[in-house]
Amino acid sequence: MRPDERELDEELRTNLEINVRERIDRGEDPAAARRAALDDLGYIPAVREEMRRVWYSRWFDVVAALIQDMRVGLRSLLRAKGLAATVVVTLALGIGANAAIFSVVRGVLLRPLVNRGEDRLVYIRQSAPGVGAPNMLFSVAEYNDIKAGATTIAAFGDFSTIDFTMLGRGEPRLLHAGVVGGSYFDVMGLRPVLGRLLNATDDGKEAAGAVVLTHRFWTTFFNSDPSIVGQPIQLGSRTATIVGVLEPSIPYPVETEIIANMVTSPHHLGATMNIERVHRMTELFGRLAPGASVENARAELTTAYAAMVREHPEAYSTNANMQLSVTPLREQITAPARTILLVLLAAAAVVFIIACSNVANLILARSVRREGELAVRAALGASSGALRRTLLAESLVLCGAGAIIGLALAQPMMSIVARYAARFSVRALDVTVDNTIVWVGASLAIAAAILLAYVPRLPSSNAPAGFGLAGTSLRITPGTNRRLRVFATTQIAFSFVLLAGAGMLVTALVALQSANSGFITQQVLAIDIFGPSNPAIVQKPSMDLYREVTQKIAELPGVDGVTGSYFVPWRDAGKYPHLRFTVEGYTPANGEENPYAKQRIVGPGYFATMGIPVVAGREFTEHDRTGKERLVIVSQSVAQRLFPNADALNRNLVVTGSLSASGTNPWPPARIVGVVADVDDDRAEHVPAMTIYPMLQDRGLPPRLLVRTSGDPYALVPSVTRIIRERSANQGTERAATLADVRAEVLTPERLNAFVVTGFAGIALLIAVVGVAGVLAFGVSARMREFGVRLAIGSTPRDLLFGVLSEGAAIVVIGIVAGVAGGYAVAGVAAGYFTNVQMPGVMPLAIAAAILVSAAVAASLMPAARASRVDVLSALRAE
Amino acid sequence: MEKTTDRRLELLQGTLDMLVLRTLQWGPRHGHGIGQAIRQQSDELLKVETGSLYPALHRLVKRGWLKAEWGVSDANQKARFYRLTAAGKAQLTIERDRWSQLVDAIGRVMNPAAEIKE
Repeated sequence: MRPDERELDEELRTNLEINVRERIDRGEDPAAARRAALDDLGYIPAVREEMRRVWYSRWFDVVAALIQDMRVGLRSLLRAKGLAATVVVTLALGIGANAAIFSVVRGVLLRPLVNRGEDRLVYIRQSAPGVGAPNMLFSVAEYNDIKAGATTIAAFGDFSTIDFTMLGRGEPRLLHAGVVGGSYFDVMGLRPVLGRLLNATDDGKEAAGAVVLTHRFWTTFFNSDPSIVGQPIQLGSRTATIVGVLEPSIPYPVETEIIANMVTSPHHLGATMNIERVHRMTELFGRLAPGASVENARAELTTAYAAMVREHPEAYSTNANMQLSVTPLREQITAPARTILLVLLAAAAVVFIIACSNVANLILARSVRREGELAVRAALGASSGALRRTLLAESLVLCGAGAIIGLALAQPMMSIVARYAARFSVRALDVTVDNTIVWVGASLAIAAAILLAYVPRLPSSNAPAGFGLAGTSLRITPGTNRRLRVFATTQIAFSFVLLAGAGMLVTALVALQSANSGFITQQVLAIDIFGPSNPAIVQKPSMDLYREVTQKIAELPGVDGVTGSYFVPWRDAGKYPHLRFTVEGYTPANGEENPYAKQRIVGPGYFATMGIPVVAGREFTEHDRTGKERLVIVSQSVAQRLFPNADALNRNLVVTGSLSASGTNPWPPARIVGVVADVDDDRAEHVPAMTIYPMLQDRGLPPRLLVRTSGDPYALVPSVTRIIRERSANQGTERAATLADVRAEVLTPERLNAFVVTGFAGIALLIAVVGVAGVLAFGVSARMREFGVRLAIGSTPRDLLFGVLSEGAAIVVIGIVAGVAGGYAVAGVAAGYFTNVQMPGVMPLAIAAAILVSAAVAASLMPAARASRVDVLSALRAE
Repeated sequence: MEKTTDRRLELLQGTLDMLVLRTLQWGPRHGHGIGQAIRQQSDELLKVETGSLYPALHRLVKRGWLKAEWGVSDANQKARFYRLTAAGKAQLTIERDRWSQLVDAIGRVMNPAAEIKE
C-alpha cells in the first residue's frame, strides 16, 4: 500500500470517529450513531478507486483500460484456441532460440575473464605465413630476445606443455601438465583457492619440484580433498610437492591438469630447450605496463622482433616471412567461437523474423474476420486509439504467453548451444542463465506485440461503415490480401537464405566426409601409449619390448597387422613441425630453398597395416628396425617434386636446418628405400602433402600403436592393454579408436555446425510452410462465393485447383528470387567483416529452392483441393 | 443519493471545488467538517458524498490551493485539517466571479420576461 493510501485510510477513520462523536453528542444511541456514520461514509473501495484517479492521473486510466482489454483479449483468444496455440508456439520458438543464443554470446564473448586486470593481458605469438605455419610457439632464445628491453610490457609469463605419467596413485595415469616460470601466475593475475601458486623462488635448477593442481583436476581426481596440499606426487622418475590449488579459470591455450615449475620437467632443464633457437615449446603472455596500450606494445615488440630475425638469418629463412602478433587475451580466447556464434545469432534472428511474419499473417487473417466487430465499435464512437489498444492488448497476451514458454524453452536450448559452443571455446562450459535472458525475451515479446498491433488495418472513417456492419461474412480487401502475401513471401525469402546456408554447410561436410584418405579407416585401431618404459630395456641391450609386444598382438585372433608410429592420422595433426630437407643428387634452382615436408615416424609393416600402396621400392622390415643403416620412405609427391624424370630410390635424404645444441644433426642422412602413395592424414593442407617417413628405431614402445583387424577393433583393446601392462607395468593405453572414429571426431565441429544450422532451417521451413498454407487457406475460404460462381458458369474444378496451386507457387518463386538477391547482398556485407565468407555453390541453392517449392506445393494442396470441391449451391446461398 | 426521493439536489459539475474553497474561507476544517458545513449552509439541500469529497480535497491539495495538516479538533480528536492557501484564495475569487456570471447568464435565458421588466 502506498503512503497516500495509508493516509487516506487514516483520514477516513478519524473523520468517522468525529462524526460518531458528534452524533452521540446530539443524543443518538452509540450503536445507531456508528451505523449512521458508516452509512455517511459510503462504500470505501469506491472512494479508493476515485482517489487512485487523483493520484495516478492519466496513466491509471490507460493501464486499467489495457488490463481490461487484455482480459477481453484472453477470453476472445480462448475461443480461437488453434490460432492462439500456433501463434504462441511460433513465438516461443523464436524468442527461446534468440534468448538462448544471446545468453551464450554474452557469456562467451562479452563476459570478462576471472583474471585480475584481465583487460591488461595480452597473448603474444609468432607465425611464418610464408611456409604455412600460422601458429608457432617460441624458443627460450626467442623469448629472451623479445623480453630484453621491452618497456610496454610490465612482465612476461611463459607456459609450455608436457605430459607426465603419474605413478603411485592407483593405475598409472597420463597427466597433461603446464610448465611455467615463476612470473606466470602473477602476470596472469590468478589466485589460489588453497595453498600457494608458483613464484620466483620456484625458478632455477636448485629449486624443489612444485606442482599446482588446476581446480577441475582437484575436484574430479582428488574429490576436493584439502589435505592434498603438501603431499608428494610422483611424475615419471621425479617427485614433486603439491603446493596449492588454482582458482577456476579459463585454461588457455590448452587445458592441463597440473602446472609445474621448470625443475619438475627434465626436458625444460636440458641444453636443447635452452640453447636451440628453433626448439619452440613456449607460449608467451604479457601484462601491459601502466599507461601502455595494446598498440604501443604491438609496435614495440614487432620492432624488436624484426631486429631479432635480422640478427639470426641462420634460424629464420626470408621466405618464411616471420610475423609477431600481440592480441588482447580475451579476444584471443574467444576468437574461434566468435564467427560461429555470430552466425548462430544471425540464424536465430532470421527465425525470429520468420516467426513474427508468420504470426503477423495469422493475426491479420484473424483481424479480417473480426472487421465487423471493430466496425461496430468504431460506429459506437470508439477512437482509433481505443481500437488499436484492443489489438495491442490481444497481441500482448499472445506475445507474453509466447515469451513465458520461450523462456522456459530457452534454458534447455541454452545448455545445448553452450555444449556445442564449448567445442570452440571452453568459456561456454560455465555459461549460466541470468537476468539477461529474461530481458531479451521480454523485449523481443514487446517488440513483436507492438509490431503485431500495427499490422491490421482499422476500419477507416471514410469507408462505408454499413458494409462491415452488414453481416458476419468475410470481406477480404485487396490491401489485406497483399499484406498477407508480402508476409508469406518474406518468410519464404528468409527461409531460403537459411536453407541455402544449411545446404552449403551440409555440402561441405559431405565433401569432407567422402574425401578419400588413401588408407583403411574402418578396421584400423589407433592406441596411444603413455608412461615410462620398463627400466629393464634401458639396462638390457638384448631386450626388445617393441618386438615382444607387436608379436604378441599379432598373434591375437583376427589381427591382420600391427605397427608402431609417432602419429595418429588427423588426431595428431600439427603435433610435429614440418621438416626441411634435400636429397643428394638434386640440384636446386638458383635461390630455391629446400622444401618442407610432413614427418611421420613409422615402424615396420606400417603401409601394409594402413593399406597404403607402395609405389616403388619396399617398406621397412623388422630387420631394418634393428639394423644399423638409416632408412627413409618418401611419398610420391616428394619423388615427383625432386626427381620428375628419375628414380628417387636409394638416394640419401638429408634433413636440413635442424641442429642440436652440440651442433650435430639429429637426422643423419638416410637412404630412400621406398616411395608410397600420397595420403590425407592432416587437416592443415596449406602446403603440398609431401611426406617423409623416417624409420622407427625404438626398442621400447612408441607413443602410438596401429592394429588392423578383421573383427571388431574395439574388442582388441583389453587384450592389447594387458599385453603391454604385463611387460611394462608403468605403461598404459588410452584414447583407443578406429581411424574412422578419429576422423568423425575431428569433423565434429563441421557436423555440429551443419546440424545446428539445418535445425534452424528446418524450423524456418516449417513455419514458412504453415504461413503459405495459411494464406492460401484464408484466401480460399474468403473466395468461396467467387469459386461457386465460377463453377456455376462453367469452370472445371481442375481450373480452380491449378489456380490456387499457382498462387502458392508464385509466392514461393518471388520469395526465392528475393532470398537470392537479399542473401547475396548480406553475404557481400558480411564479407567486409569476416575474412572467410564463402558464396554457396549452385548445388546447395538448387537443392534449397527445390525443397522450398515442393514444400510449398504440398502446403497448397489442401486449400486447393478445398477450392475445387466447393459445392456450388451452398456457396451461392451462403450470403 | 438515490436512497430516497428526498428534496436533495445534485451538485452541478465543477461546483464542488468552489464550495470547498468557500467553506474554508473562515479557517481550517477537517473533511467531515467541510461536508457538514456544505450541508448545513445549504439547508440540507446539498449533500456531498465521501466518494466525491475526498478526491476533490486531494485534487485541490495537488493543485496547491489547499494545504493539509494533521491536527487535533476542539473535541480533542485527531483529524486532517485543510487550510486555504494564497493561491486558493485567488482561485475562490475567480470561481465566484465565474459562478455569478453563469447564474446571471442562465437566469437571462430562463427568464426573458424578467429582463424586459428591468
